[in-house]
Amino acid sequence: MAMTATAEGMRRKRAFVGARGGSFGYLLPALVLVVIFFIVPVLMLLMRSVLEPEPGLQNYKALLGSTTYLRIFLNTFLVAGVVTIISIVIGYPVAWLLAIMPEKWSRLVLAIIILSMWTNLLTRTYAWMVLLQRTGVINKTLMGLGLIDQPLPLVNNLVGVTIGMTYIMLPFVILPLMGVIRAIDPAILRAAALCGATSMQCFTRVLLPLSLPGIAAGALMVFVMSLGYFVTPALLGGTSNMMLAELVAQFVQSLVNWGMGGAAAFVLLVVTLTLYAVQLRYFNPNKAR
Amino acid sequence: MKNKIAIALFSAALGFAGAAHAEDMVFTSWGGTTQDAQKASWAEGFTAETKINVTQDGPTDYGKIKAMVEAGNVNWDVVDVEGDYAVQAGKLGLLEKLDFSIIDKSKLDPRFVTDYSVGSFYYSFVIGCNKDAVKQCPKSWADVFDVKKFPGKRAFYKWSAPGVIEAALLADGVAADKLYPLDLDRAFKKLDTIKSDIIWWDSGAQSQQLLASAEAPFGSFWNGRLTALAATGVTVETSWTNNITAADSLVVPKGTKNKDAAMKFIAHATSDQAQASFATATGYAPINLDANVLMDGELRQTLPDMQAETQVNADMDYWAEHRDEIGTRWYAWQAQ
Repeated sequence: MAMTATAEGMRRKRAFVGARGGSFGYLLPALVLVVIFFIVPVLMLLMRSVLEPEPGLQNYKALLGSTTYLRIFLNTFLVAGVVTIISIVIGYPVAWLLAIMPEKWSRLVLAIIILSMWTNLLTRTYAWMVLLQRTGVINKTLMGLGLIDQPLPLVNNLVGVTIGMTYIMLPFVILPLMGVIRAIDPAILRAAALCGATSMQCFTRVLLPLSLPGIAAGALMVFVMSLGYFVTPALLGGTSNMMLAELVAQFVQSLVNWGMGGAAAFVLLVVTLTLYAVQLRYFNPNKAR
Repeated sequence: MKNKIAIALFSAALGFAGAAHAEDMVFTSWGGTTQDAQKASWAEGFTAETKINVTQDGPTDYGKIKAMVEAGNVNWDVVDVEGDYAVQAGKLGLLEKLDFSIIDKSKLDPRFVTDYSVGSFYYSFVIGCNKDAVKQCPKSWADVFDVKKFPGKRAFYKWSAPGVIEAALLADGVAADKLYPLDLDRAFKKLDTIKSDIIWWDSGAQSQQLLASAEAPFGSFWNGRLTALAATGVTVETSWTNNITAADSLVVPKGTKNKDAAMKFIAHATSDQAQASFATATGYAPINLDANVLMDGELRQTLPDMQAETQVNADMDYWAEHRDEIGTRWYAWQAQ
């Protein structure tokens, strides 16, 4: 049984490598699409950031020289970082459970998680607003139980953004993690236990290191997506913890200052790509496997 | 059999040609109850009269207008924009000149007519209050800025636009006729005193949600949204003291392929009948001076143009000129 599975795996691997080495042509349609509809517009935006209102780097100077805008940059990283950490902490046990559950149950739980991803983002965010506001269900219940006498400020601030975004990002942590944990041979854990490892040691010395590629993949995905998030911070956050995407929207839509908007978007792009490069270099999940 | 197919094909081709001939145009506005009323009061009658189909789009986005005009690919034929933007965009060459041989401007409120725009409707920022949620409602802008007498959160319009700066200055004691040029330093200093108690609303629907749920039991609102909210059974108190008026405008982005239809649409939308019907539905004031007589007398009394006593007219020309400067400062202040 194990033998056939391995042989099958080898065959698949050969077929995959063959396709990769064989023809670059398969890539072409997707590549053309990306170049025309993504790379070219991004370059045009970049051009605007150094050409409008006049040629030069004044937009970047204004952006990076202002404490207000720097605060927005810092806040963007803060929110993305906090959301990433909380998503991993909450998502890891779920992914673990999904990986070891009987298939019938894990399918059901997975379906629930994915179903929430298919619901409209705006609807989900408004739902959080209704739950979290001062007169919302959560505050009313807590006050009714006598646990608090003043409503907790759960929305229009960092707390609201973090709750709303973590909820949206969770599936992006759970799915890659589940895949990685499932691929870990349970025999290794049994072996560790047989050799006298406590269950805590089994987790910290065996399971955790082996699932690190999944954590890295999930964390990067969440962090990068969070950096450019717009709807949720706009609705659940306050103006004093604005994120970069909101700043870009203000420049582009309201102030119609595309030079500054382009500069802000480009800084975000550069930071994101840098992080991606770092991740590929140090935590490449494909290399680790 | 072959004949039948040929006939079917032929008639299908004819049908196609016929469909292509009927004119289409796109009207873009801000969505929500306001655009619903624009559709019902303006677009439907216009289509019945002219056979020109009007597709609704939205929300209005100044970035998109600029992109369309620059790319020479204009998909929006008539757009509802804020008055100060209309003045600025006209100067920047983003708009078509309106054809006043089709649009009769003699009956339109001259305050809102430029070469490139006419008024769409006009509204007031008023003090709205959810009576069931507070002991007493603020009556003046000074009250709204007084956190001791009126504790709790208050709602204000998030975007940089005429309204909040004026309210801050009025609250700080500036006389209504001495508002312009705006003393921004003074306004922001006053706004600083209530900053942590402000909840910003970025759409009319959100403002209604905040007030109805008492998340922010009072604040500055578009008067029409309060009328709509009161109609749903919420006990809303409106104070018209120093209500600050501003108008939306109708404009045509430069390079539209349906210029003729666009001009006809504006002519229809600003007609006395269409304006009266829209005002009745929304609680915003008509910009056609003949619309008054067509409206119910009692309802008439609740519209912004009947509240002229302590009314403050936001200076659209001043705003058009300083829009970028105020906006940059506004958003930087918000983010601090």
